[in-house]
Amino acid sequence: MVGKKRVRATDERLDRLGSEIVRATAMPETEAESVAAAPFLYARLRARINAERTRREEGESRLAMLKVFWRAVPALALVAVFALALFWSSATQRLANSGYVSEAILNSPDSGIERTVFTDNQALSSDEVLATIYDGEAAK
Amino acid sequence: MADNSEPGTMQAEAPAAAPEPSEMELVTRTREGEEAAFEELFNRHKRRVALLAGRFFRQREQVEEIVQESFTKAYFALNDFANQQENSFASWIARIAFNTCYDELRRLKRRPEGSLSEVSEEESAWLAEQLLADTRQRDIESAAITRDLADKLLARLSPEDRLVLVMLEAEGMSVAEIAQATRWSVSKVKVRAHRARAALRRVLNRFL
Repeated sequence: MVGKKRVRATDERLDRLGSEIVRATAMPETEAESVAAAPFLYARLRARINAERTRREEGESRLAMLKVFWRAVPALALVAVFALALFWSSATQRLANSGYVSEAILNSPDSGIERTVFTDNQALSSDEVLATIYDGEAAK
Repeated sequence: MADNSEPGTMQAEAPAAAPEPSEMELVTRTREGEEAAFEELFNRHKRRVALLAGRFFRQREQVEEIVQESFTKAYFALNDFANQQENSFASWIARIAFNTCYDELRRLKRRPEGSLSEVSEEESAWLAEQLLADTRQRDIESAAITRDLADKLLARLSPEDRLVLVMLEAEGMSVAEIAQATRWSVSKVKVRAHRARAALRRVLNRFL
């Protein structure tokens, strides 16, 4: 009981000392008033507001650019997919063409059969048609 | 009654002083781009904001920084003031100033070179002497040793504790007023105040 009372009394003393210390950290009022009355304080504030406005405007324009870019992302993705599909189809075509060439070279026992195979597998390419025409003209 | 005034002349009456524009009016005019209106608001409230900042900081530069930062924030948040229909510009700007002080305290706390310098033996002895002395005999506020010591001691508290202690002890605000200024609940302010006092007691005990 006595111990508790003593602790409480010490706490109260510490609290009082603490609050006096907190008050002691404050700047004297006259000094604070002199800060408020400092010349050009408003001019400095105005300059700060203008700087902050510029900063915000720059930030906004950057944000607007980001938004435009963000909106362009789906379109760019679509273009990329289209380009990829185009690339893939041309690669497949090239592979099929090479198959045709090898088939033409290796499996040519009979031209009739060969033609049938050509029709089933792949149509003639424009290069081949042109080559045929040139050959025909040359033969004439 | 004879009229003594000469013909063609008017009795010069002293013009009645124009009533001061209300704060809401000044806010509206500022939002419309009238710079003089904001200057008027600044002139009306700068003293209060400087006094408030002076409760937390003792360096002139710091106090001026708080004043400028508070009014800059207020300038860009004037729409909020108009939309929220605040009771008064004074309490609104005070709340902004408290928040700015709080931000500055947090910034200082994060800095490694913050004023966490050691309390000297002399200061520690002085502190013990003050604790034992009768309250009426204490001369804390005028003692030269106190300011530095108080800074060192308070630098050991968290920014939240320091904010609440300054509001309670130096600013003399009630729990309800602190709750309004910080937008904390009343119970949170009470708990925070209790913890802040306990923290300060621990700090003081360490040096006694």
